[in-house]
Amino acid sequence: MTDASISVTQSVVEQFTERYLRSIGCSVERRDDRWLVSVPDDIDTEITHGRHTLVRGEGTPDDDSTKRLHPESAFFQQLLREAGERSPSGKLSIESESDIEIPEWIQNSAVEGQGAQFTPYYDRTAIVVLFRVGIETVSEYQQELLRAVAVDTRSEESLPKLAETFLDTTAVETETASGGAVQLTKTDVRPLLETARDLLLESVQGRLDDIHREASRAADAEVEEYRQMQQQRIQELQEAHSNLSSKINDLSENINTGDEDSRVEALRERKELKSEYEELDETLNELRERRDSGFPDRQREIRERHSLDVQVTPVTLTEVEYERGEIDFKLIDGSRHQTVTLGYGSGIGVADTVRCSSCERELTERNPLQTISDGLECQSCIKDR
Amino acid sequence: MSGYDLVDIEVTHEAADDLLDSLSEDGAEGEHLQSIQAVRLQAGQPDSELRSLKELDENSVKLLEHQVDAAYRALFEMDGKALLADEVGLGKTIEVGMILKEMHFRETDESVLILTPAQLAKQWQAELRDKFGLDFICNYDDEFEDFDAHDYIIASIDTAKSDRHRQTVLNRDWDILVLDEAHYVKNEETDRYDLIDRLSYNYAFFLTATPIQNELTDLYNVVSLLRPGLFGTRDVFHHYFVNSNQETLVNRDELQDRLNKVMIRNRREDTDIDFTDRTIDTRTFDPTPKERELYQAVSDYVKGAYSQDQGQKLVLMLLQKEVVSSPLALKQTIEKRLYDQSELTHADELESILDLIDEIDTVTKQERLLDIVEEARDNVEMGRVIVFTQFRATQQQILDRLVSEGYTVHAFHGGHSSSEKEQIVEDFEEEGGILVSTDAMSEGRNLQFCNILVNLDLPWNPMRVEQRIGRVHRIGQKRDVFIFNMALKDTVEEYVLERLYHKIDLFQQSVGELSSILSRLEESGTSFEDEIFERLVAADSEIDLENDFDTMAVDLQEQRELAGKLEKFNSGVFEGFDLGESDD
Repeated sequence: MTDASISVTQSVVEQFTERYLRSIGCSVERRDDRWLVSVPDDIDTEITHGRHTLVRGEGTPDDDSTKRLHPESAFFQQLLREAGERSPSGKLSIESESDIEIPEWIQNSAVEGQGAQFTPYYDRTAIVVLFRVGIETVSEYQQELLRAVAVDTRSEESLPKLAETFLDTTAVETETASGGAVQLTKTDVRPLLETARDLLLESVQGRLDDIHREASRAADAEVEEYRQMQQQRIQELQEAHSNLSSKINDLSENINTGDEDSRVEALRERKELKSEYEELDETLNELRERRDSGFPDRQREIRERHSLDVQVTPVTLTEVEYERGEIDFKLIDGSRHQTVTLGYGSGIGVADTVRCSSCERELTERNPLQTISDGLECQSCIKDR
Repeated sequence: MSGYDLVDIEVTHEAADDLLDSLSEDGAEGEHLQSIQAVRLQAGQPDSELRSLKELDENSVKLLEHQVDAAYRALFEMDGKALLADEVGLGKTIEVGMILKEMHFRETDESVLILTPAQLAKQWQAELRDKFGLDFICNYDDEFEDFDAHDYIIASIDTAKSDRHRQTVLNRDWDILVLDEAHYVKNEETDRYDLIDRLSYNYAFFLTATPIQNELTDLYNVVSLLRPGLFGTRDVFHHYFVNSNQETLVNRDELQDRLNKVMIRNRREDTDIDFTDRTIDTRTFDPTPKERELYQAVSDYVKGAYSQDQGQKLVLMLLQKEVVSSPLALKQTIEKRLYDQSELTHADELESILDLIDEIDTVTKQERLLDIVEEARDNVEMGRVIVFTQFRATQQQILDRLVSEGYTVHAFHGGHSSSEKEQIVEDFEEEGGILVSTDAMSEGRNLQFCNILVNLDLPWNPMRVEQRIGRVHRIGQKRDVFIFNMALKDTVEEYVLERLYHKIDLFQQSVGELSSILSRLEESGTSFEDEIFERLVAADSEIDLENDFDTMAVDLQEQRELAGKLEKFNSGVFEGFDLGESDD
């Protein structure tokens, strides 16, 4: 599924900023690296009203009346937030006059195409949703994706081609797009949004799997490290344990052989050591037990900490009108002419799968049309002969 | 990769109420399009670029494409944690300089710690200052207090891990950690490894040309310091990537894929570095009988004095070096010693050395230098020659002699201000003639317009020699370079030249190759200069001395061969040669 993000160059920043400011009613006067912007009092914006100077590129920091304009500047980020929230839903039309999309099995074909004629029969509606997907784990940097998903409102079929066309249509270079008022209601949209969410998750599954594997590996390494540390601790405790034990033995001998004073002292000392010994014994046993059962609590804690948190947020929703009908492709191969009629949609391209009339294999980019002398025959067929 | 349990994935769908509510709001024409564009821009990465590039002085550093590319990838594609593993001689230091410059420009470098092998610390300091305008304090500087007293520090890793400093180093949260010769932390049981493992930092750049020293586990250790967990546990790593029976690599593609997330390795053949040829002409001359007598007297004095008082080592070493540079240099040091110091050992011997100096009327090296510069005057563009000496007194004497012969001369030494230095280099380029310089001619100076260099005397530190040559034989030099070495027969200089430098092919090595040889040597804990001096004073006879130097040369050769083998081995692992086909 196509990445919907747009990389932010300085020229894009300037293009968008100027257009946005003018669209909300500000005036912009460009003077080389400085823009004089005037924000009238009566417009609804978070940008401070009054006169500002925008300075292109980086350099000295912002002050009250001078703001920097570059991809990471605070002013531009504020502007994006505001513009993004202004009208998150709306309507766009994909016109039938838009470029006809010739299928790749014709483009790569030895047969020449001689034009195409699209006849729209009916209007269809789809929704295109831009989803923000945040993926977070402790071992990897947080990743944010923006993905477009298109779903036909009637059939709920996924329309990946339409999503691509939508992204092309809404590039920063596009200044206007025909639309009109949204027809769909909340009730219409809810189930479609569910479908779109499922499609989205399917589309990012590969990416999630990769990150999931990495996070799992990182967790595993940490568990192993912990296990080794505890093993080392057990060894240290065992050593201390046996030291204490031999000290106690020595004291017992003193008790049996020494005079009264030293016996009393040895008894007192042995008592202290014994209680220390028992404590150590308990710790050691507990640690061994935990080790033998694989430190389940700690494992759980580590794996929980490394777990993946995926947040899916629909950020914009667009009702898209497109047309469906039939398209005629005129093909010429030497003296032979043939017209192929296929189901077609504006923005989604050819909707039908076409098969070789001889072997029934699907015509594709890699197995294009080879000849029309005896029906539509594919490249593989000709090669096999 | 099997053998581990999967962690949980939790997917949360944020409520869409606000979005659905907005369906009923009528926006102005075009507003929705702008919202879509704004959201898409918010998700986009700023078109990252190295913004500090244009701040660099082109005269100080000329960046190559692969270096800029490595800096870019380390910063923007690896999120500031990268193992820079270019083959030797491709300028890893430059890549780090670029990275640090960029981070400085973006103000993400409040505290930076660069850890290097001891002998490379000062060189790092000079390079970062001269090429990138970045000022670091080095733990060998007098002003250095401790690791919590400065924000930009270059230190030897062994100083940092010493009992005295270790805790201070660890107590601090560093913004950036740079670790040169990162293969020294390959062993997880060493104090060095432990130090790096415990250090707290946000960004880290490790450098090595040979990430693997003995076995693939080395790579596991180094990479795991940078990106813990990338390779999972040690056992799983081993099990998965090494076929232990045949010691071959398995799953090589996946190893490459994972390494690509953290390691950058440029190969020489992939870059456009193309050096011109270097011709070495070593000329040894018979000293005059007076010079011979003086050399013998000084050597005897040094030997005797050192056997009585090893605390004088530095001065004695200086005398031994000066006697082959010029009588004047020697004279000034002895006079200073005689008249400035109240307590003196063997004053009478020194007095008689002074007498011997006064008797010398012909300084052989200076006379022979005239042959070289005259040849250059006839054959080379504007007769440009650079003459290097270690001593100011020698420099002055040569300058006087050359002027008396009618040559245009320029003097360059550490006493000039930096604007004066710039002017001197400029004059030399415009007027031609002879530039007589001490080793204060720093890294950053660009002297490719000259292609003849004379070593009037030789530093006992091979890095120094290479640095001299590096001033003229560098990227951008379009002509072949000629190096003349001058030495007096049967002197320490001849030994150093013939027995050591030529044996390791010093004059044909690049800085990168040399530093990898020397840092290996340094592992044994001795400095090159000390080693030479100790051998010189300890030898009982000339034959002893020759044998001693031969032994040292053998050591060096071994280090060189080892360094070469390692480099080859690493190419094998990373490019897929030598270890045979992958088993999968």
